[in-house]
Amino acid sequence: MNQEPFLKLNRVIHEKGRLVIMSMLAASPELSFTELRDTLAMTDGNLTTHIRALQQEGYVAVAKSYQNRRPLTTCSLTAAGRKAFAEYINLLEQIVRQNRSK
Amino acid sequence: MQSSHMNPNWAEENLQTIRTLMERSAMYRHALAPIMLFAGVLGALAAGGGIVFHLDSTRAFGALWLGAALVAVAGAFFIVRRQALKDNEPFWSPPTRRVTLALLPPLTAGMILGVVFTWFPTAGVVDFTLLLPFLWALFYGCALHAAGFFMPRGVKWFGWIYIGLACGVLCLLVTIQPQIQISAHWLMGFFFGVLHLAYGAYLYLTEKGKNAV
Repeated sequence: MNQEPFLKLNRVIHEKGRLVIMSMLAASPELSFTELRDTLAMTDGNLTTHIRALQQEGYVAVAKSYQNRRPLTTCSLTAAGRKAFAEYINLLEQIVRQNRSK
Repeated sequence: MQSSHMNPNWAEENLQTIRTLMERSAMYRHALAPIMLFAGVLGALAAGGGIVFHLDSTRAFGALWLGAALVAVAGAFFIVRRQALKDNEPFWSPPTRRVTLALLPPLTAGMILGVVFTWFPTAGVVDFTLLLPFLWALFYGCALHAAGFFMPRGVKWFGWIYIGLACGVLCLLVTIQPQIQISAHWLMGFFFGVLHLAYGAYLYLTEKGKNAV
């Protein structure tokens, strides 16, 4: 079996918590921290850690503002994040095709 | 996740998880085609009823179409709710809330103007019966465009079609052919019957194609 696609998988995105965050953000222009936390049933601390890791890689942009006088944190994918996510999906599809042809 | 690689199908499962999350995040895509078809059938029936029963006075016209709009909204919510139950998802989810909030301002404006123009028609100044289809189509197009930021890309384009057609046909009537007599029910039938049916059929066929792959 060709291990190349597996070895090329982006380790930052491949972690389960970060993968689900990237998936949610890929389908929306932006999502609030609360929406992500509630939909993914993550704790504040867990979500913050994952988002910080994605932010450091330049995959996610975080914006802070106010809504009804309350702080609002929104996250969105950067261009680099979209590219990395698309590449990750392509590699997964390659692996699936490889598995099927076995 | 490393341990999941013991399962030979881990890549497929990951893809399925990604697909499910993206769909959940992007509103109930599968509900869109039945909503459009339902609205189209309702629009065509209302237009047919208005023409056959000669509901031509401004008040009768307004009552018929505002009633049809309320039924359409109720039906759309029913279809989305049914889809949410089927997919085992919460009905009032963040995406549903965002889409509803985006739709609300233009639709409310259209409804308020519709009620005011219908119940207080200023005879002799402007024929509100003929103006309302264009106003409603414009507001509806703006509502679809706003909701399109949280829905499949086609919804935005569908909104632009309403805005373009409403502006274009109204400008044409006002500037080039002011003498043309068009029934307001025919206009409504086109805007809210034919266009919805066409988009619903397109969605239905393309969604079917995607599911088949």
